[in-house]
Amino acid sequence: MIIEGRELVFKHNIPVTRVEKYWKGLEEGKIYGTVCKSCGAKYSPPQADCSLCYSDDMEWVEIGGEGEVECMTEQHSFPAGFEFLKESYIIAVARFGDFKVVGWAKDKISVGDKVVAETGKDETGVWKVYFRKV
Amino acid sequence: MRVGIIGVGCTKFGVHEKTIQELAFDAVKEAIEDADISREDIDMSVVGTSNTRGYELMPAVPINEYCGFAGKGPIRVEAACATGSAALYTAYSSIVSGMADIAVAIGVEKMTELNTPTSLAVGGRSGSYLWEFHQYGTTFPGYYAMHASAHMAKYGTTSEQLAMVAVKNHRNAAKNPKAHFPKEITLEKAVSSRYVAYPLKLFDCCPISDGASAAILASEKKIKELGKEAVWIEGIGYSSDTANVTKRSDYAGLKATVEASKMAYKMAGIENPLKSLDVACLHDCFTIAEIMAYEDLGFCRKGEGGKFVEEGRSDFGGDITVNTFGGLKAKGHPLGATGLAMIYEAVKQLREEAGDLQADLENYKALTHNIGGTGHFGWVFVLGV
Ligand SMILES: [Zn+2]
Repeated sequence: MIIEGRELVFKHNIPVTRVEKYWKGLEEGKIYGTVCKSCGAKYSPPQADCSLCYSDDMEWVEIGGEGEVECMTEQHSFPAGFEFLKESYIIAVARFGDFKVVGWAKDKISVGDKVVAETGKDETGVWKVYFRKV
Repeated sequence: MRVGIIGVGCTKFGVHEKTIQELAFDAVKEAIEDADISREDIDMSVVGTSNTRGYELMPAVPINEYCGFAGKGPIRVEAACATGSAALYTAYSSIVSGMADIAVAIGVEKMTELNTPTSLAVGGRSGSYLWEFHQYGTTFPGYYAMHASAHMAKYGTTSEQLAMVAVKNHRNAAKNPKAHFPKEITLEKAVSSRYVAYPLKLFDCCPISDGASAAILASEKKIKELGKEAVWIEGIGYSSDTANVTKRSDYAGLKATVEASKMAYKMAGIENPLKSLDVACLHDCFTIAEIMAYEDLGFCRKGEGGKFVEEGRSDFGGDITVNTFGGLKAKGHPLGATGLAMIYEAVKQLREEAGDLQADLENYKALTHNIGGTGHFGWVFVLGV
């Protein structure tokens, strides 16, 4: 016998205040990382604090140009929260210089392919990075 | 101080109409009977469960109460899919510290109480939520698929070689009544199955299972005092890696496996794992994970993992018998239970109680390799008698 449990909904209010520039940047078509002014460590996604030297003196830098796909997957099943997707979707990690970025690929891509990054939002209003094959 | 394992228990993995405490109870009961001690002899209880899919959000005390250990701990530990190994280490530490003479490590997970999309969304949070799942809908198969894509591109590993891991492990699971899927599959069936997360197909992925396992540990002094036989913990290694996938240098292997195995081999005095070890329980949540593990554990050179399985070197009669009980792939992978289920299997092998699945033993040494996330946690144990 199975009893249905009481429903419990988690919808978190997530503080992004210290990396707000990243989220605002996406709305302006820009992808930001941070560089530690004290030790030079580079962060993508950005961090407000340096995990290596513990400084909080960070410089915001724009990530762009041509990237190279280091790994990818095409998802054929949809996790809760992504029911709006009607077709399989490609997630990739591409390297742009010293920074790596995750993105959804708009074109069919393979490891080693050259891509450019742009930003946009999905049907649920979440901003993100998209890759296009060069 | 040496610490030995004197009792082990493990439920069948699969879909259980039992609560998390009822399931844990079954494994603990078997372990206590196996050790031939009584419940009251246990000084400390460690409860390992990731329990991110459970309705009982703080399950350690309900589990502890149900198993009759109220007042003895509990310490609850969580290390994603490597939770069982973290529980074993915590129980081991409680004995080495002198605080306990006998400790129980319990690993349990109920994964089938939620629907699949919810379960995928929970597993997809195994990286760094805000930067990965929130934006891109990552899933757990998806993370390993990304590693597979890199391994295949860099080393030419093929879909057939991935499928060979599944075929081998299903062949072993077919003889294991505790396996979730105790049936053989053909290479043809595996390679022609549908994609879950390209390049991984349905038969590259472990099932979603419920299960529990337990191990009872004791100090060498106590073991002698009780006049018991034990399987000894001879090597322990642990490591971890970044949460963010973008902060890894490479995707064709797991650094946490490399580092954890180095530590465990050093402690156990192992220079050549293939010469020293007879059997290994490797973390094959996805077929690519077993192939990367051969390489990262030093069973073969980097990039040669595909060939290692293709040549039968990880099968019965090969260089080292890997996943004799069917692995996570076919036996199942109830997260918190997995690490201690590996210990259960290694102990059964070393005691030569594995029946149809008994490997030939030369050195009487076994290895367990348990990964949390995609190398977010890495644990390696070397056991010996
Ligand atoms: Zn710094």
